[in-house]
Amino acid sequence: MIQVKDLKKSYGEHQVLKGITTEIHEREVVCVIGPSGSGKSTFLRCLNLLEEVTSGKVIINGFDLTDPKTDINQVRTNVGMVFQQFELFPHKRVIENITLAPIHVRKVSQEQAEKKALQLLQKVGLEEKAQAYPEELSGGQKQRVAIARALAMEPKVMLFDEPTSALDPEMVGEVLAVMKELAQEGMTMVVVTHEMGFAREVADRVFFIDEGLILEEGTPEQVFTSPKHERTQVFLSKVL
Amino acid sequence: MSIDWSVVIEYKDFFIRGFITTIELTIVGIGFGLLIGLILGLMQISGKAYLKIPARIYVDLFRGTPLLLQVLAIHFAVIPTICEEILQITPPSALFSGFVALSLNAGAYISEIFRGGIESIEKGQMEAARSLGMNYAQAMRLVILPQAFKRMLPPLGNEFIALLKDSSLVTVIAVNDITYAAFTTAKSTFERMGPYITAAVMYLIITLILSRVVFYLEKHFTPQTRKK
Repeated sequence: MIQVKDLKKSYGEHQVLKGITTEIHEREVVCVIGPSGSGKSTFLRCLNLLEEVTSGKVIINGFDLTDPKTDINQVRTNVGMVFQQFELFPHKRVIENITLAPIHVRKVSQEQAEKKALQLLQKVGLEEKAQAYPEELSGGQKQRVAIARALAMEPKVMLFDEPTSALDPEMVGEVLAVMKELAQEGMTMVVVTHEMGFAREVADRVFFIDEGLILEEGTPEQVFTSPKHERTQVFLSKVL
Repeated sequence: MSIDWSVVIEYKDFFIRGFITTIELTIVGIGFGLLIGLILGLMQISGKAYLKIPARIYVDLFRGTPLLLQVLAIHFAVIPTICEEILQITPPSALFSGFVALSLNAGAYISEIFRGGIESIEKGQMEAARSLGMNYAQAMRLVILPQAFKRMLPPLGNEFIALLKDSSLVTVIAVNDITYAAFTTAKSTFERMGPYITAAVMYLIITLILSRVVFYLEKHFTPQTRKK
């Protein structure tokens, strides 16, 4: 589903990703952990080309994102993204946030888009907030709407960039619950997270990224219980 | 001191025409100013040097020289040169020169307001829109500009009022606006106060209406919940 070959990314002189090669399969949930500044968010953002790739290849669903001939907008409709800061559209009601892209990008009728949006809101437990504006919602509710908004495009893959890092602790659970449900339904997911409990419980595989490389990868069991790399051990001893 | 208002009544057609002309200058200036401003603003944030640099030069040129000079230069130099030497036609009226000068000048200021407004929207909004598959134009139109527009309204309101008052400068090329009516009436009747007070009141009426319109728009573009 996702193939990454020797992915490198530099900002000027500073090399953030130093050659990442990996493959993520359909229906797989991958959690990416690592210290801040390690390049894990940059890695995720390269997967839908929110960051320009310096060199290497990112292939999603057979589309090579680094090929200039690829219609990136088309590929992005298959890749949902959830941001740390939610990034709901503040001038639109909750339901309009969800229907905007289906109507304008997928050219779905408004009626159909709204029907679908209400189903998704129901799924994330926020049906009654359809007519609210984002600013009326709590952080956890905003993030659940953001997930519904991404799902409205019926993506094949969902990318989560530290989806609970900006939340008050009591709201983390409700967002993780939605993500867990999504994982159980078989969605392919790549989650950059500091929630080790979630990674351990939900992930099929865990990547430990540090200094721009995947230093270690394996099942949660392998990575959390018997990490091989010294830096993984140091990191885990600090966060667990 | 007594003020003789009879000259104003005597010259009332002159003032009415001035009033209409000033409104025309303001509306045309706002309309074309917005259009030029939007284009220049988008050029400036495009990140492409061949768009950015010309826009930057334009803005610096029109903001860095006096409007009075621009009005004179456009009416007596630029338009006559283009019309006579290139198009080989008779130059249009002074009013046309006034329209051109005010629109070009307003465009420079408005482009800065557009640029500032667009740049004030968090980068994540564009990323969120793009991640949903929208192209750059859709993201701008559906997500960025509606939010930016709300933030641009107060400075745009100031700009519109400044434009209205600056329109009085076309008096120097003998466009019959409010100021021209007052100046000419006062000069030819030797009645000093009446004409100028009349002109001031006319400007005040338009400025007050304009600021009410901007205020209404600001309220209109604020989501319901924030109106409470």
